[in-house]
Amino acid sequence: MSPLEGLGFGFGVALAPANLLACFVGVLVGTIVGILPGIGPVGAMALLLPSTYAMSPTTALIMLAGIYYGSMYGGSTTSILVNVPGEAASVVTAIDGYQMARKGRAGAALCVAAVGSFVAGSVGVVGIVLFASWLAELALQFGPPEYFALTVTGLALLSRLSGGSVLTGFLMVGIGLAIGTVGMESVSGFPRFTFGSVPLSQGIELVPLIMGLYGVAEILVLAEEGIRRASIAPVALRDLFPTRLEWRQSGWPIARGSAVGFLTGLIPGPATVLATFISYMLERRISRTPERFGTGAIEGVAGPEAANNGATAGAMVPLLSLGIPFSPATAILLGALVIHGIQPGPMLISAQPDVFWGVVASMYVGNFLLLLLNLPLVGVFVSVLRLPQYVLSTLVLLLCLVGAYSLSNSLLDLWVLVAFGLAGYGFRKLSIDPAPLIVAVVLGPIMEKTLRQTLFMAHGDWRLLAYRPLSLALLLLGAAVLVGPLVWTALRRRRAPAASAA
Amino acid sequence: MIERLAAVAFLAASAAYTAGAWTFPLGTAARPGPGFFPVAVGGFLCAVALLFAASAFRGGAPAEGAAGAPPEPGARGRVRVTALALIGFCLLVPWAGYPVVAFLFVTALIKRLGDTGWAVALLAGIACAAASAYVFGSLLGVPLPRGVLLD
Repeated sequence: MSPLEGLGFGFGVALAPANLLACFVGVLVGTIVGILPGIGPVGAMALLLPSTYAMSPTTALIMLAGIYYGSMYGGSTTSILVNVPGEAASVVTAIDGYQMARKGRAGAALCVAAVGSFVAGSVGVVGIVLFASWLAELALQFGPPEYFALTVTGLALLSRLSGGSVLTGFLMVGIGLAIGTVGMESVSGFPRFTFGSVPLSQGIELVPLIMGLYGVAEILVLAEEGIRRASIAPVALRDLFPTRLEWRQSGWPIARGSAVGFLTGLIPGPATVLATFISYMLERRISRTPERFGTGAIEGVAGPEAANNGATAGAMVPLLSLGIPFSPATAILLGALVIHGIQPGPMLISAQPDVFWGVVASMYVGNFLLLLLNLPLVGVFVSVLRLPQYVLSTLVLLLCLVGAYSLSNSLLDLWVLVAFGLAGYGFRKLSIDPAPLIVAVVLGPIMEKTLRQTLFMAHGDWRLLAYRPLSLALLLLGAAVLVGPLVWTALRRRRAPAASAA
Repeated sequence: MIERLAAVAFLAASAAYTAGAWTFPLGTAARPGPGFFPVAVGGFLCAVALLFAASAFRGGAPAEGAAGAPPEPGARGRVRVTALALIGFCLLVPWAGYPVVAFLFVTALIKRLGDTGWAVALLAGIACAAASAYVFGSLLGVPLPRGVLLD
């Protein structure tokens, strides 16, 4: 099936009534969680994962993916109107978006953000079609050494790019890998760190772990910050249209943001957040009037908003073509695939075309639904913020508790939720990003399996990793990412005294 | 201070993990056993935890900006109550059952976090416990814990 035929087939799947409804529910929930501080897209996806058990795999994935990219739209709304980013990827939007709102141009900022997100989402779909098919074909040549090298490099990149120092990134990776070894070992069935507990022999569930680290921890932080009441700028429907000049100023930033976002999404790390910062810096640097940035420049809204949506599309490429997630959100999507008995990886496109093409096409449909939903209903969505924060926090915690229990009706999942919630709060106090931990929990078992297969193939000779060009290239890339900045800094330090002496 | 405490906790946990991993069969390089990967992970974890501890005790970079602004009065109390409510939920739910514990959980949090009156907190507790028990227990068919009295 050619990419164009595949996309046509995908639209047939995505427009089936059940899938269309799932897409609508997903983007609606995504918009609301994007608006609300307290539960981000990752926590919401984890919370709703059990509700997808009764759905078909395609429908489940369409809904969960809808939450992921839908949250990017919702986040921009509160950034612009209230100066309270609903999630991290909308922090940059608040800089100029809120200033525009203060000047009475909130409607124009919201419209440009929504159109920019739509364009980037659409560009992202084309990118997925082109990149994922190509990467999946390449990945068919991957053996255990290449997969092992890919997981090592992915985790190294994630440690380097996540917030905080490389050391804390490594610490999170180490803890994640250690958590991934709990339970029955896959080859021999040997129990590891189970302490005689039957539920622990199944390992530690990913979903309560994510709910704890992202949902519960966030509520604990909100409880510490106390009650805040948002004052919301009113937006009339007639104010939603940007002027001709504003459209002209937004066009290229949207195009550049879409490309920057998609490419950043391909890299392991906090892609959506990183993409918005890169796009903002890029727009400011190439602008003829950089002094306008920070005072309500529409380019500062258009670029980053396109970038964060482009990044959600880019992040789907390694998941759909390699079966390897490089972010907590795509780790949940992988979990959903596995729960529904689907083997993710390069064979997904040919073995499950309805899942692959259906999800890809649904992203286009979802972006269109978001455009229809977000502009006329912006006032309704923002009114969600009027719900007192303590009511919202209590409800989210109760939902997390029931949601975690309902996964496998196990009290162990409740304890995992609470333990990782408290740990997540501690990580926040230490300014440590837990994303590498989650990705390491998912990649750990893959890493162990492929390492054992590699050593078995090579009769215990590690040099096999260096003999195969692809695995060597991947490992060198990982090493360059880790060591490169250190070498660069050392070189600059050496040059600086030489220059001052001259 | 918090960085140093965390560093000690990370070190202790890493050492305990590695000690546990050494008790599993290691196998050989050609045929790795179930202990092979955990021992490697343990070694990595211990090395990183040591570097983190060294950095924390030198007052180094890992947790820069962690302290932030000092918390407002009552902030720690709200966190403590929320954490205790979560732990209490896990401890009590097998014994008292979901509806009772959900009611206590919501009432306590609404009262403490919202600083509301008892009537509002009790009403919210009853409404949330009943609604969530109906949605998850009856509509979605989740066998919520009923407690020792009803079992």
